[in-house]
Amino acid sequence: MAFATLVRQHQDQLYRVALRMTGDVGTAQDVVQEAFLQAWQHLPGFRGDARFSTWVTRIVINRCHNVHRASRLTEPLPDETTGGDGLPTSPAAETLAVAAQRREAVRQAVVSLPFEQRAPLVLTTFGGYTHAEAGRILGISEAAAKVRAHRARRALADRLRDWR
Amino acid sequence: MSDDGFPGIPFDGAAGDERLPCGTSVDELFAHVVDDRAPRDPEHQRRCPHCRAALAELRDVWSPVEDLAAEEVRAPAGLLDAVMARVRELSRNPWYASLPGPRGHTRVAARVVGVIARLAAESVPRVTLALGQGHTGSAASAADIAGPAGEAASDIGVAGTHVVVDVQIVIDYGAPMHEVARQVREQISRDLREHAGLTTAEVNVTVVDVRT
Repeated sequence: MAFATLVRQHQDQLYRVALRMTGDVGTAQDVVQEAFLQAWQHLPGFRGDARFSTWVTRIVINRCHNVHRASRLTEPLPDETTGGDGLPTSPAAETLAVAAQRREAVRQAVVSLPFEQRAPLVLTTFGGYTHAEAGRILGISEAAAKVRAHRARRALADRLRDWR
Repeated sequence: MSDDGFPGIPFDGAAGDERLPCGTSVDELFAHVVDDRAPRDPEHQRRCPHCRAALAELRDVWSPVEDLAAEEVRAPAGLLDAVMARVRELSRNPWYASLPGPRGHTRVAARVVGVIARLAAESVPRVTLALGQGHTGSAASAADIAGPAGEAASDIGVAGTHVVVDVQIVIDYGAPMHEVARQVREQISRDLREHAGLTTAEVNVTVVDVRT
């Protein structure tokens, strides 16, 4: 079935966006599933791939906007960073644990940003979209997307600096 | 848009005006680290201890962001199957009641219309149950109207804002069937209009049993 191919093609990218937007694995999965269903219902037989990508990403972003902001972050940290008892067991493991902790701080800081900043930040920094693509997805100009993304990166850095 | 910075943009409140003792704006350094923008004065940046310290700190702050961005993220294994299962389920019930509005369409799943119809029928006095599996209404071709196969309570067809309902009821023994059926029709039409804004084209009532 053609739609399954479409899902297979886009699921990782959409999930990545949803995960960074919501900070929660379960919520992200729900968002992506519902977005695919919405896409399927509204455009049966849709083919144009570039436009499909923009359009379905916009659905994901809108759904993330509507989702109640995840209050807890349930994405598990990589297992290899900790020993059996949950504590670092070697200097190398300790370094890894610190790195994992810092990534976790980034995850939380991203989720804490207001939606207007979070969306362009997630799309560009984490989703790999250009400012022009992010603008198309968000329905704003490339210039506006660029300004908002930059502002968001600065806010993110300030927050991370404050937390140190 | 030009690529030479964002003059005058306030960054996160007062932080936008933050300057190092050497006069370099923190935001310029930040753009250098994060957006890979060339420094205005590379020679100064290379030699100035304030700039170098600030750059080192910014790079350190930003590196976990880059780590996280580089992390491989894959959709959960069950996602595709879950989507396709829902798609198959929806394919079986492809028809929705559709209510055009000024700011977009409202679609009501056929199943929901069925539930409203069943509850409406059961709210009529002396109807003890609305049950059974009827078949899709005969008022239109299957292409215009389709009801979900195997709908447990009442069989309904929906096309646009018009609904055809087949409902099977069980009534109290001794109740006037014709009168009860008329009330069921009225109740279903009224509830669908009031709750879902739908027009009932046809309500076919079948009395399948009586309860003593």
